[in-house]
Amino acid sequence: MFNFSVVIDIGVVALRILLPLYAIFIVYECYAAMRRRRRPEKPLVTLMNTRTFEKIPVLFWENSIGRKKSNDIVVEDAAVSRVHAVLLRRDEGWFINDTESLHGTFVNGRRTEDRTQVYIDDIIRVGNTDFQFLRGDEYNEELRSSWFFKNPSRKPAVKSWKLMLMITLFHFFMTVEAVYWNDGKNPFSPLIIFGIVAAVDWCMFIVSYFGLRRTTFELEALALFLSGIGTILLARQYERSAYMQVISTVVGFVIFCAIIKLIEDPDKLYRFRIPLMISAVGLLGVSIVFGKVTNGAANWIYIGPLSFQPSELVKVIYILIGAGALDKLNTKKDLFIFIGFSVVCVGLLAVMRDLGTALIFFVTFLLIAFMRSGDFKTIILAVSAAVFGAIFAIRFMPYVADRFKAYRHVWEYAQAEGYQQTHVLTFIASGGLFGVGIGNGFLKQVAASESDLVFGLVAEEMGIIVAITLALAVALLVVYARAITTRSRSTFYSISACCAAGLLVVQLTLNIFGATDLLPLTGVTFPFISAGGSSVIGCWGLIAFIKAADERTYSMKR
Amino acid sequence: MKRILKRSTLILVFTILFIGGAAFFCVELVINADDWANQPYNAHISGNGGLEQAGAIYDRNGVTLAKTEGSSRVYNENYSVRTGLLHTVGDNSLNISTAVQSKYRSQLTGYSLIWGLNMPQSLRTSHDITLTVDSNASAATYDALSSLGKPGACVVYNYKTGEVISSVSTYSYDPEAPPEINEDNEHEYEGVYLDHVLSSSYTPGSIFKLVTSVAAIENIPDLFERTWYCEGHEDIGGQEVRCVDSEAHGTLNFEGALEQSCNIVFAELAVEIGAEKMTATAEKMGINLSYEIDDVSTAKGHYDVSKASTNELAWSGVGQYNNEVNPMQMAIICGAIANGGNSVNPTYIKSGTGDLLKMVGLNDTKSRELVNPSTALTLSQVMPSYTFGSLSVRAKTGTAEVGDEKSPNAWMVGFSTDEDCPLAFACVVEDAGFGSQYARPVAETAMQNAALAIRGY
Repeated sequence: MFNFSVVIDIGVVALRILLPLYAIFIVYECYAAMRRRRRPEKPLVTLMNTRTFEKIPVLFWENSIGRKKSNDIVVEDAAVSRVHAVLLRRDEGWFINDTESLHGTFVNGRRTEDRTQVYIDDIIRVGNTDFQFLRGDEYNEELRSSWFFKNPSRKPAVKSWKLMLMITLFHFFMTVEAVYWNDGKNPFSPLIIFGIVAAVDWCMFIVSYFGLRRTTFELEALALFLSGIGTILLARQYERSAYMQVISTVVGFVIFCAIIKLIEDPDKLYRFRIPLMISAVGLLGVSIVFGKVTNGAANWIYIGPLSFQPSELVKVIYILIGAGALDKLNTKKDLFIFIGFSVVCVGLLAVMRDLGTALIFFVTFLLIAFMRSGDFKTIILAVSAAVFGAIFAIRFMPYVADRFKAYRHVWEYAQAEGYQQTHVLTFIASGGLFGVGIGNGFLKQVAASESDLVFGLVAEEMGIIVAITLALAVALLVVYARAITTRSRSTFYSISACCAAGLLVVQLTLNIFGATDLLPLTGVTFPFISAGGSSVIGCWGLIAFIKAADERTYSMKR
Repeated sequence: MKRILKRSTLILVFTILFIGGAAFFCVELVINADDWANQPYNAHISGNGGLEQAGAIYDRNGVTLAKTEGSSRVYNENYSVRTGLLHTVGDNSLNISTAVQSKYRSQLTGYSLIWGLNMPQSLRTSHDITLTVDSNASAATYDALSSLGKPGACVVYNYKTGEVISSVSTYSYDPEAPPEINEDNEHEYEGVYLDHVLSSSYTPGSIFKLVTSVAAIENIPDLFERTWYCEGHEDIGGQEVRCVDSEAHGTLNFEGALEQSCNIVFAELAVEIGAEKMTATAEKMGINLSYEIDDVSTAKGHYDVSKASTNELAWSGVGQYNNEVNPMQMAIICGAIANGGNSVNPTYIKSGTGDLLKMVGLNDTKSRELVNPSTALTLSQVMPSYTFGSLSVRAKTGTAEVGDEKSPNAWMVGFSTDEDCPLAFACVVEDAGFGSQYARPVAETAMQNAALAIRGY
């Protein structure tokens, strides 16, 4: 006998199996698009040793010159300092800046002070070596490009509007599931949310494509893909939050565009360092004074119906201050100012008892400090100080120790401190590879399931494959940020992009492993997917750095 | 710029660590998914709804103990069968955590990590489980035990194959009509969610003399040449040790002392053997161990005389002091004595899906030597003999004082010596009285019916 319900069941199951594959495909397409449309690896200018006639290709926008092997341009000359000078490109032309070298840098025989412009055929003298400054096409040998840009094609892997269409379709399938599992609630409310999400996504695309005339949209598409998933998951949980999420995405996108514009000239930004630091400390100070204690951490500010977490914004400012151009990077004064600023930030967060964010800041500090100085000793010193502090905190502050009591023993505290984690594990296991269907999960009844435990929510309703894919989609931003490092227009961009990507990974680590008891639960959000306006806005702010580091953002217009 | 790229490797290391952590989590998930999913609060499976698609549970002869009809779960039609096997089979709730319907709920409902718990019902496959227990033997045992109106436990298992033939725990209730337990009736249902066979331990009293006997046989060379004189009470270590009701047993040899269950003799033996060797024997016999019975860890026994005075050591030799044993554990020890010293680990599962058997580890032989083979042979020949209908049995009764104005725990543990019926048993009735008076009839019924189940009716 023909059984119609079996056909529907097969359809539902088929959709659920196809969705993970589709998610993997979308993430793949986003990353494939990031690799394409690159300029071929060619030197920007060439330096010719006037004595040996050896030609050295100058590949980057900012190049260090010195005796040390790790320099971009290595000069084997005893009179040259280990890190002697920086040769850098700006919109106005090429400059050379001596970085506290012993014997100085000369252009056409004149000793330089601060940034000095160089022109084609000028003679640059470092130590006892003279270089003639030549055009890039004077260098004829083949150059190998990084694996990430191997076989770069001029065409994008997928046109941006097609990528957006795929993402909208994915959100639509999610909505269909959410309509199907309606729990007796209004079955069509997810459709409204979907409509708004799709409209907002496409508006952003149109603004970026026609308004800002950008050729690329894959990073934004990836972010919209993730935040769309978070929003539609909310449709069957806290409908109101879903709308808040959409509004946050819009605000986030505006901030994203503003930051890209703001950091177009990193040298100008350098002058605003101190006011920025003061405003960051001010923001944290405000949340200590006016903050309301929520879930043990006093990091929320309420303005009328709006709640706001300033620490999410401070993260962005923090990176803004931490990064810098290559010739300013190694001055001791700048580094000390930065360390002082970091200590104040982490200290204020500790006062707020926001352990998760304090930890994120600390790791970001380590990343930035290391990226700037390359000094392992500083890092080890900082880490041991932190470990010492942590032991002290656990030993002398009982409420801190209490938080870690259930760690790795959640099943013994299944009804107490381990409640959230055990529920996450149970419902992840219940979801299987393909999930139980959007809106059909039970984790949504547990507190913080839409934010701190969202990994579990995704895994339960959409399956562990989707959950892992989304996590990797964020984590792989590090690979992307590293690949574009040497092609950025300044180390300011490369450092900020790598650190922003690193920060997202740290956040991801604390969120996922905290919820699944591989690490203590600290209440950190999953980038873009977790509900929470400030978190979403903060994440958009962070990927602005990655976007800015991509050379195509400023140099290619439609 | 090159230097920055090089330094960014640190961030890549973070990312690789993250991916490693994610991989580690996936491995944890694959290994533990079943345990994780199987939680009482898991709304995907709990309640009657969770059993809508569950497979059937059969006894060793294919008698249905529980199955799903339409959308409701029905149990065996016989009241004594379903009430007697409540703790083995389970009910619709997950209150009895060691029961099959709780432990293997995800197996019964066809859980797999691939599909999770939301395969549409029309596409879901459920799995049946066949148990080793005999429904008739368990029902008869339940009737005998519940007629005493006391909490207790009785288990019979085949010491050659490990199959549990009957396993009953009281108090119990009918899974077809689970009671609502409130303040008024909670005394009637005290400990009702515990399977006392597996999850409780009790003061052993004289059945612990089996352990003392093993220690004596192994450590006192002239044990069988000795005689003792019992006045009913004696001063050991400055305080008195008494026989039950201070009954004087007169002149006794070792066999007689075991037969008469003379406390004086065993108390003296325990002191002579000493704390160290007593502890070594108890440890070897697994008193302080927990056994893994199909994923369930039994309650541990307790023998610790490290802080005992001489008098307390003497009392420990007759199963008092702070000694405790678990019924299943005692059945295993008796089985080992009958089986030449080696225990065969009991199981309730006869057949099920490959996954289930792998989970239970049915094909692993979990055998251990609990008693030296020659000691086991000697002891099995001197243990008191009984006749349970057509069965020849060697057994030891016990009457364990528990204080608190409660009557003693009545015990009987032992095994059959008939070649075709390799059965070992343990029976305990709480707050009862003499072992021979309360535990023995239950044990006799249990053993006779188990023999019927093995020999065929």
